[in-house]
Amino acid sequence: MRSGNPLLFVGFLGIGSCLLLAFLWAPSVSIEAFESPAAQRLFYWHVPAAWAAFIAFGALFLGSAGWLFKRSETMWRLHVAGSEAGLATGLMTVWSGCVWGAAEWGTPWDWSDVRLNSFGLLTLLATYVVLGRNSQPDGVETRDTFAAFGLYGFVLVPITYIATRIWTIRHPGPVVATGDGGSINGDMGLLLALSALSFTVFIIGHIQASMHVTSLEQRLEKLQRIADKGA
Amino acid sequence: MEGMTYLAIGYFGMLVGIALWTYTVVARSQRLEARLQALETALPSGDEVATDEKTDE
Repeated sequence: MRSGNPLLFVGFLGIGSCLLLAFLWAPSVSIEAFESPAAQRLFYWHVPAAWAAFIAFGALFLGSAGWLFKRSETMWRLHVAGSEAGLATGLMTVWSGCVWGAAEWGTPWDWSDVRLNSFGLLTLLATYVVLGRNSQPDGVETRDTFAAFGLYGFVLVPITYIATRIWTIRHPGPVVATGDGGSINGDMGLLLALSALSFTVFIIGHIQASMHVTSLEQRLEKLQRIADKGA
Repeated sequence: MEGMTYLAIGYFGMLVGIALWTYTVVARSQRLEARLQALETALPSGDEVATDEKTDE
């Protein structure tokens, strides 16, 4: 696999380094402010994983629109890669959020919290698109159906983004881009930014690699048809 | 459970997720490349296939 390899490697190195820094270097949080200050260190992968999920869902939206309006094979490959990346990063975000919730709130999930539920729905949408597409024969109708889900499902992304700005119930509010300088100190902010950058490189590498795999599948299918005709 | 146990469980789950996902993509790519090479060897030359063309509507 040539495509995406260097970015994947650099992304891996970056997120591995951030994991080490989260354990060894990141400052501890106040024991008064948190029920479980140790578990708070999950934040250095949880937030960047959610950020990577938004990039993946953006790719899914672009790919879906590109397929529906341009009938572009490249855009279809972006749709496939975006949905797979959205599923993987979405599950990572939900998993780390549930573990942190169990440590901090005493419950892994709060059904009354808008952000938890809208992000959960996004991950379910990616699950449906990936599993549904894999269970159907490839064709224009199948692609149109799943591209429509990718296109309209994207509406959940801005809802999820603004959820904690409008309806803060259980999930913590934003810590960066808040307009008042944010609520985290310099070292924590630096590590969070480094981790977000690493996850960004990693997700772009994965999207490239997945697009390459889909192009190989398409090429194989066409060669197989040629071989079948000749037989 | 202790906070550190939650932290370890959280990071371990994410690490497994990243490893499985990457392994799946790399393994699929290698399997497909091997099958493509075998088919291309078996087919007479001149049957090269491009994948970037637009589909029929």
